[in-house]
Amino acid sequence: MSEAVPAAGGRDRLLIDIADLWKTYAMGESEVHALRGVNLQVHDGEYVAIMGPSGSGKSTLMNLIGCLDTPTKGSYVLNGRAVGQLDEDELARIRNREIGFVFQTFNLLARASALQNVELPLIYAGVPLAERRARAEEALKQVDLLDRAKHHPNQLSGGQRQRVAIARALVTRPSILLADEPTGNLDSTTSREIMVLFERLHALGNTILLVTHEHDIAAHTCRIVSVRDGRVAADEPVAERTLAHAGAS
Amino acid sequence: MNFLEGIRIALGAIRANLLRSFLTLLGIIIGTSAIISVIAIINGLNLYVAENLSNFGPGVYVISKFGIITSHEAFLDALKRNDDLTAADARAIAQNCDLAERVAVEVHSTRDVTRGANQVQDVDIGGIDPGIVDIEPYEVDQGRNLSEDENARAAAVCFIGQDIVTNLFGTIDPIGKKMRVDEREFTVVGTAKKKGSVFGRSRDNFVKIPFGTFVKMFGSRRSVNISVKAASGVPLEDSMDQARVVLRARHHLRYADGDDFGIVTAEGVNNLWKNLTQTIFLVAIFVVGISLVVGGIVIMNIMLVSVIERTREIGVRKAIGARNRDIRLQFLVESVTLSCLGGGIGVSAAFAFSWLLRTYSPLPARFPLWAPLLAFGISVAIGVFFGLQPARKAASLNPIEALRTE
Repeated sequence: MSEAVPAAGGRDRLLIDIADLWKTYAMGESEVHALRGVNLQVHDGEYVAIMGPSGSGKSTLMNLIGCLDTPTKGSYVLNGRAVGQLDEDELARIRNREIGFVFQTFNLLARASALQNVELPLIYAGVPLAERRARAEEALKQVDLLDRAKHHPNQLSGGQRQRVAIARALVTRPSILLADEPTGNLDSTTSREIMVLFERLHALGNTILLVTHEHDIAAHTCRIVSVRDGRVAADEPVAERTLAHAGAS
Repeated sequence: MNFLEGIRIALGAIRANLLRSFLTLLGIIIGTSAIISVIAIINGLNLYVAENLSNFGPGVYVISKFGIITSHEAFLDALKRNDDLTAADARAIAQNCDLAERVAVEVHSTRDVTRGANQVQDVDIGGIDPGIVDIEPYEVDQGRNLSEDENARAAAVCFIGQDIVTNLFGTIDPIGKKMRVDEREFTVVGTAKKKGSVFGRSRDNFVKIPFGTFVKMFGSRRSVNISVKAASGVPLEDSMDQARVVLRARHHLRYADGDDFGIVTAEGVNNLWKNLTQTIFLVAIFVVGISLVVGGIVIMNIMLVSVIERTREIGVRKAIGARNRDIRLQFLVESVTLSCLGGGIGVSAAFAFSWLLRTYSPLPARFPLWAPLLAFGISVAIGVFFGLQPARKAASLNPIEALRTE
């Protein structure tokens, strides 16, 4: 499992460096500023929650961090590389290598087994079959689902599906795990299960960005960034962190 | 992403919607199998005709009053212009053409034949030089051919086809038995092997009698057909030209006049037939082409539906690192896989169809190897052509919006 720890750099290495980031959408005649000069720095190994009500620009920020979109203005350096103005193919490459997405609705491919789902990012990375299979199995082992490798998503519970999705995010050994409301579709018990898993992955050295609107979920992280009206309204460490695994079992 | 992966994904998608995929492919299946079947049928017809329609071989030509007539106008023209051919014409060719190895005449009339109470109507009565068997051989089943001697003395003997054997004699051995053509009595000296029918017309419904007998009985005012076997090793054209010169001289034709007779060769008959089938072929291919285009449009349609249905999947794939070209390739491979599948089923159907034709009809329906390859190639091309637009559409989807789709 040590592969999950980025090899180079110490704990204080700057992974995300966002400076004066703007995103403007044209809505007919008028312009809508979804982000109005966001500044954000995330270091290697951090566990950060991004919070904000709908319309705050939280989703836009997440899309930009996830390299699904490009900013109108400002700079975004991810793991030492300026990714603000890359073209679609280069962004796809960055998403493949640097970002591990975890979605609210899991977004597994229904016709593929758990193992095949986890393999998918490696296919796009051009990893040969044997290595792909080995790494996918290893990632499934990390989320304790190796025994369900042959199961299809519809044969798995919600929590198991999300763990498969997390394995898929981990399998490329990305710089950051970007989880968008990962517990939004799960009941509280399963939610805690997932949060325990994130805690474990964080402890192993993974950098995790968690987008949520639930305070008790955010309370599991180490730092909360609040977004409001397209700006970072507050950026504070969590004073009294709730540990999910303490409440479990 | 590699190609095999794309095919695996495509097969998965096709299996997930088996009925829909099959219905989608119907156009391509029908189109490809129709292409091959048309080729097989035309090929079979050509073969059938080459074997059956012209019963004279290479090196042989037949001079007749009409030759090959392809229209009613041509027939009326020939009727006005052309002279009857006579046995004297044949003799002149035999004497003056050193490039004609063998010359024989045949003259036809349609009569009823009877034996006791049994009657066959409208039988082709052929008055022949017995030597014609050297030019247009037919196989003897029982007895023997007519002889030169019988021709010389205009003997009342005949050589009959299997239809006559069956209808007049039944199971009785006809050799040496008597039968009547019109009111005149003939003795059967031989029977021909069964030849079967071409296009529903029996070729066993004939009675051959010596030419001399025919003239004595029906008069000499009918135009004869002159069968010529060219000297061996000589181009057919040269021999035909020689015969043409002799006949033109005898018929006192001027330089500018056209021939007042026609010459038929095996090649001529086949060419006529090939021209005819070529037209049928082109029309059939055009119709099949329409069905293929429709099949392609159906594939494009279903691929567009598939892109919309799987918008979210496309979003996920893009989020985890699929480039636009990966998505494009995936959907292109899927449409090509679909059309290949259709092409494959179509080719198998065509194999089965032509086998059925070969086995249960007289048509030797076969197709050359290039036919299924061509049909398969066309279906691949259709998959690429009609899959391009849906694939482009899938590739150009915005990942954020695609992920947001329910």
